[in-house]
Amino acid sequence: MKKKGLMDHIFGAHNYEDFYNPKRQAKIKDLGDGKVKVLVWELPVRIWHWVNFLAIIVLMFTGLYIALAFSSARFETHATDFLMGWLRWVHFVTGFVFMAALLFRIYWTFVGNRYTTFDIYKPGFIRGLWESLKFYIFLPNKKPHTIGHNALAQFAYWIFFGLCSIILSITGLYMFFEPQQGTHFMMNTYILGWVPHVFGNSVKLHIWHQGAAWGTMIFMVAHIYLAFREDYLVRE
Amino acid sequence: MEKKSVFQSAIERGVSRRDFLKMCTALAATMGLEFSQTDKVVNAMETKEKVPVIWLQFQDCTGCSESFIRSSHPTTESVVLDLISLEYSEVLSAASGHQVEEAMEAVIEHYKGKYILATEGSIPEDGIYCMVGGKPANEIYERVAKNALAVIAYGSCSAWGGIAGAKPNPTNAKPVTAFDSGDTPVMIVPGCPPISEVMTGVIAHYLTFGILPELDGFGRPKAFYKHRIHDKCNRRAYFDAGLFVESFDDEASKQGYCLYKVGCKGPTTYNSCMEMRWNGGTSMPILSGNPCIGCSEDGFWDAGSFTERLADIPLPQKIATVDPAVIGGVVTGVATAAVVAHGAATAVKKNIDDKKNTHEDH
Ligand code: HEM
Ligand code: SF4
Repeated sequence: MKKKGLMDHIFGAHNYEDFYNPKRQAKIKDLGDGKVKVLVWELPVRIWHWVNFLAIIVLMFTGLYIALAFSSARFETHATDFLMGWLRWVHFVTGFVFMAALLFRIYWTFVGNRYTTFDIYKPGFIRGLWESLKFYIFLPNKKPHTIGHNALAQFAYWIFFGLCSIILSITGLYMFFEPQQGTHFMMNTYILGWVPHVFGNSVKLHIWHQGAAWGTMIFMVAHIYLAFREDYLVRE
Repeated sequence: MEKKSVFQSAIERGVSRRDFLKMCTALAATMGLEFSQTDKVVNAMETKEKVPVIWLQFQDCTGCSESFIRSSHPTTESVVLDLISLEYSEVLSAASGHQVEEAMEAVIEHYKGKYILATEGSIPEDGIYCMVGGKPANEIYERVAKNALAVIAYGSCSAWGGIAGAKPNPTNAKPVTAFDSGDTPVMIVPGCPPISEVMTGVIAHYLTFGILPELDGFGRPKAFYKHRIHDKCNRRAYFDAGLFVESFDDEASKQGYCLYKVGCKGPTTYNSCMEMRWNGGTSMPILSGNPCIGCSEDGFWDAGSFTERLADIPLPQKIATVDPAVIGGVVTGVATAAVVAHGAATAVKKNIDDKKNTHEDH
C-alpha cells in the first residue's frame, strides 16, 4: 500500500467521514428498509441551539436600543420611568444566559458526539472546504454528503460565531463591571484587568462589542438561509 | 538652597496657623482622605521639606499650566509658594534663557532622585520637532526623568499623545510613557486639561505620604480616575428612564434630559469632573448642558464627532470616522439582499437541473 504523504494527508481522505473522530459515534436507529436515522444533534445540543437563538434575538434587540436609544422623548414623565434601565437589565441577564450557554457548548465540544467537535486540524478538511464552497457558488462539485456540518460551515462557525461570541462575552463582561472600576476584580490582570490592554479603552470596547454583535447578525442571516437551502436541494 | 518645611515657609509668608490648618483640611478632602487623616497631612506639612519640581513643557498648549494656576483648594499660590518649590517652569519662572536652564541643571545635581518632574505635552519621536534650549525634547525628558524621584505626566498629551498625537500625527508624537525614564515611576494625570485640584492633589499626596498615590492599570491615580462620569452623573436618572435630548435647544434639553444621543462620552470616560467640578466647584460641561467630550480618554480627539455617540470606526488613512451601527446595518442589509438573490438563483438552477433530469429519463 502506498504510504501517505503530507499532501495526501491534507488533501486526501476522500472518505470524508474519515475526519470525524471515530471514537465518538452518534447513535444510529435502524428504520428497517435498509435506511438508518443518524442522531447527529444530541438533545443537549438542540436545547443549546434554541436557547442561544432566543438569547441572541433578545440581546440584539436590547443591545440596539442601548446603542441607538430609538424611543423618542416624552414630556409627561413618571417616577417609574425606567425604559433604558429595564432594557439594560434584560440585556445583562440574557448576556449571562448567553455566556453560560457558550461555556456549556465549549464543554460539549469535548464530551459530545463526533459532530460537535471542530475538525480544522484533521486531514481532508481543506478539500472539504473547497468542495463545499463550490457547492454554494453553483460549480459542479464533489461536496460529500457529510452528516452534520460540512467543512465550510464548520469553518464559518469557528470564525464568525465562536470568535464573535467570545469577543461579545469578554467585552460585555468588562463593560458590565465598569462601574466597579478600581476593584480587585477589574484590576487583576488574571481576571479582567487585561481586557482594555487588548481591546483598547472603554470607547473601543463598545465598538468591539457592537462590531461583534453585527458579526453575529450577519452569521445568522447566512446560517438560516443555508439551512433552508440545504433542506431544499439535498432532501433525499 | 535653603531647606524649610512647608509650615515654616507658610508662616514666614504671614499665613496664620489657623489658615495653615484650614489648608491642610482642604488638601485632605481633595485627596479623598478621611477627616481623621487630616492630622497626617498637618504632620507632613509641618515636618517635610518643600519638594523641588521641574515642570517641562513639550508639544502642548499651556492649557494644563493654565488649569494648574486656577486651583482653589489649595490655591496655586499656596502650592507654589508652600508645598513645592517650582524650580523650572516656562510659564511661571521669573528667570529665562540660560539663567533658568542653569537653574535646572543645579536642581538635577543638588536634588538627584529627590525632585518631581511634571510634564505637559507630548514628545515627538524624533525630538527635532520640539527643541527647548537647543536640545530635542526626548533627550531633555529622558535626562531629567532618569534623575527624578517620580514623573507626573499632566494632561492628555503627556499621558496618551493627545492633540499633537491625533491623526495624522505629522510629528509622530508619543506620550511620555513611550520614552525611557529609567527606574523612575511615571504617573499620568490625563484630561484636557486635568482638573486643577487633581493636579495639586496628587502633589499633596506625595508630600503627605512620601509615595505616589495608588495607580490603576493605566497608571492613573485611582482616587481621581476610578469612576465613570456616567456613574456619577446628575442626569443619570433620565438615562435610565430612557429620556434623551435629541438635538440642542429642543424641549428635552430644556428639561435637562440625558445627553446620550447628542454624543455624551460620559459612559466611556473616567474622570472626577462630576465630583470635583471645575473652577472651584462652580460647574462642569454636563451640568451646563453640553455633552462630555471624553477629554481624559486615550485618543479622544480621534473618537469622531463630539456630538455623536461611538462614531469612531477609523477609516484607514483618513481622519473621517463612521458609526459602527451604520456599517453594521449596511453590511447586514447587503448580506440579506445577497441571500435573497442567491436563493432565487438556487431555485432557478434546481428547476433547470430537474427539467434536464426528467428530460434525460425519458
Ligand atoms: C449575542 C450576544 C450579544 C449581542 C448581540 C449584544 C449587543 C449589544 C449591543 C449592540 C450593545 C450596544 C453597544 C454600544 O453601542 O455601546 C451592547 C451593549 C452592552 N452589552 Fe451586549 N451584546 C451581546 C452579549 C453581551 C454579553 C454576553 C454581555 C455580558 C454581560 C453584554 C453586556 C453588555 C453591556 C454591559 C453593554 C453596555 C451597556 C451600556 O453601555 O449601557 N452583552 N450589547
Ligand atoms: S448626560 Fe452623559 S454622563 Fe450623564 S447620564 Fe447621560 S450619557 Fe451618562
